Amino acid sequence: MTEEPYRWMEAIENRRDYVRDQLRGGLAVVGLSLDEGVMLVAIGPGKSKIYEVFDRQAMAGLGHPADIEKVRQSAIDAAHVESFTRDPEDVALRRLVSYGMGPMMKTAFEQVFQPPLLTEWLLAEVSDKRSDDIFYRLHFDGVFQPVQGAVAVATLDSDGESRAVHWLKDQVRKKTTREDAIRRALECIWLLCEFPAFPGDVPPEEERDAGWRKLVGERGVEVALLERETERMARYRTLSGDDLPL
Amino acid sequence: MSTPSRIAGDFLSLLESRQMASLNLPRELPSQTEATTVFAFRFADGVLVAGDRRATAGNIIVTDSVEKIIEIDSTAVLAIAGVPAMAFEMARVLQTSFEYYRRSQLQPLSLAAKVRALAKLLRDNLSMTLQGVGIVAPIFAGLDPTRPDEAAKIYFYDPLGAQFQHLEFAASGSGSSTVKSVLTHQLRFGSPKPAELDRKAAVALALELLATASSLDSATGGVDPQRGLFADIRVLAVDGIVRIGEDEQSNAFKGGKR
Repeated sequence: MTEEPYRWMEAIENRRDYVRDQLRGGLAVVGLSLDEGVMLVAIGPGKSKIYEVFDRQAMAGLGHPADIEKVRQSAIDAAHVESFTRDPEDVALRRLVSYGMGPMMKTAFEQVFQPPLLTEWLLAEVSDKRSDDIFYRLHFDGVFQPVQGAVAVATLDSDGESRAVHWLKDQVRKKTTREDAIRRALECIWLLCEFPAFPGDVPPEEERDAGWRKLVGERGVEVALLERETERMARYRTLSGDDLPL
Repeated sequence: MSTPSRIAGDFLSLLESRQMASLNLPRELPSQTEATTVFAFRFADGVLVAGDRRATAGNIIVTDSVEKIIEIDSTAVLAIAGVPAMAFEMARVLQTSFEYYRRSQLQPLSLAAKVRALAKLLRDNLSMTLQGVGIVAPIFAGLDPTRPDEAAKIYFYDPLGAQFQHLEFAASGSGSSTVKSVLTHQLRFGSPKPAELDRKAAVALALELLATASSLDSATGGVDPQRGLFADIRVLAVDGIVRIGEDEQSNAFKGGKR
C-alpha cells in the first residue's frame, strides 16, 4: 500500500479522521500563568491527566490512558537523561518538545501499520518571571507550537480552542486569586464540553458554575502548580484539600 | 609446594605465585576517610544532619566552601565523607534515580529502597575502595514517604556498602571520633539529652560539635558564626527538609552557649 503515494496519503487522512473520532468527547485541559506559578487544571479521576515531567516542567493531556502513559514516559525519560548527562538546568521544554516529543508523535502518526497515539497535549514550564513562562501545544500528529500569552488550552476543536483562550485571557487578565483562576478554568472546560466550538454568547456565571460542578460529578478536579518561588528543586505540586479552594 | 594463598583458590594469588602479574594489592581496607566531619543526630523535631565545609588533599586545604550535606530529594539527605569525586557522583545518581522513579511511577520510593540503593552504589564502588583511591563512607537520613507520620531515620554505611541504622546518631569522617565521643557522653550523662533539644539548641549543639572536632582535627573546617564561618546543616522534620541558614546559625550559636 505504501508503495503508492496516493494510497499512503489516503491512509494518513483516514488515520487523522480515526484519531479525531477517538478523541472526540475528551475533556479539555487548561494552563494558566499566575504570579505564584504555572497552574494546570483538568477534570478527571485521580492522577489521570496532569503529570510532572521534571523540575520546572509539567504536562496535561487528553486521550487514551495507555497512549497518555506512553508519551508521558517518553517525556520523563528524555528529561532525566538530559539532566543526568548534562545538568538539571539544561532541561528545557522547548528542546523536549521540538527534538523529542514532537518528532516521536509525528513518527507514530505516520507509521500507518502501527496503531496511532490517541493523545493531545498541553505542556508548561515555569520561569523565574511570569512573562517568561512557556506553554506548548502538541497535537496527535506531532505538530507543535509555543503558545503566546498567559493562557493555554488543549482541546480537539482548534477554533473552539482559540476562542476559549481568548475568553479565558479576558477573565484572568486582572489580578486573579488562585480560587478565581481555578473556577474560570473549570468553567472553560465545561463550556468546551457543552459547546466544542466555544459559544459566541457565554452563559452567565451562575450557569457556568452549576455546569462545571455537574460535569465534575464523581470525577474530581485535578489541579497542579509549578511554583515560581520555592527552595525546592522540584517545583511541581498537586493542589488538594485546603490548597484547593472550591 | 606452592606459596600459601590468602584465600584457597584465590586467582590473584595464583597469578602472583606464577609471576604472571605484578599486582600490588592492598592487604587491608583503608581504616578511615581522609578528611571531613559529618554527622546526624536525633532531636525533638526530627533529625539534624550537619557537616563542616573544608576539603583537603593531604595537608593542603583545597577550599572551605564545600557543601557536604546534599538534599537527594524532598525527604532524603546524604552527608558525604570520603573521596568527593565518588561521593558527588553517587549523590547525582541517587538524585536522578529517586526523582525518576517518583515521576514515572507516580509514587515515591520507600525509605528502605533508598537506603539499599546507596548500599548498592557503595558495593559497585568496591574496586575503587580496595585500591584506596575512591573510598566513600556516607551517612543517609530520610523520611519514609510511604509512612508520613514516622520520624526521620539515620543510617550509616561501611565502605563496602553494609548499612546500619542508629536510633540516636551517626558520624563519619576524620573528625567523627570526637563527635561520637561527645554525643555518647551527652546521651548517657547529658541533660537535656540530644533527643530532647529543640531546634535552636540542636543547631547550637551541631555547631559546638563541629567546632570541637575542628580543634582536634586539622582536616575539619572551623565553625564560628561570629566570624562568618558557617556549617552546612539540614533538619529533617515530619513536614520536610529545612536548610539552616547563616542567620539561624548565628542566633543559635551565641558564643557557644546553649
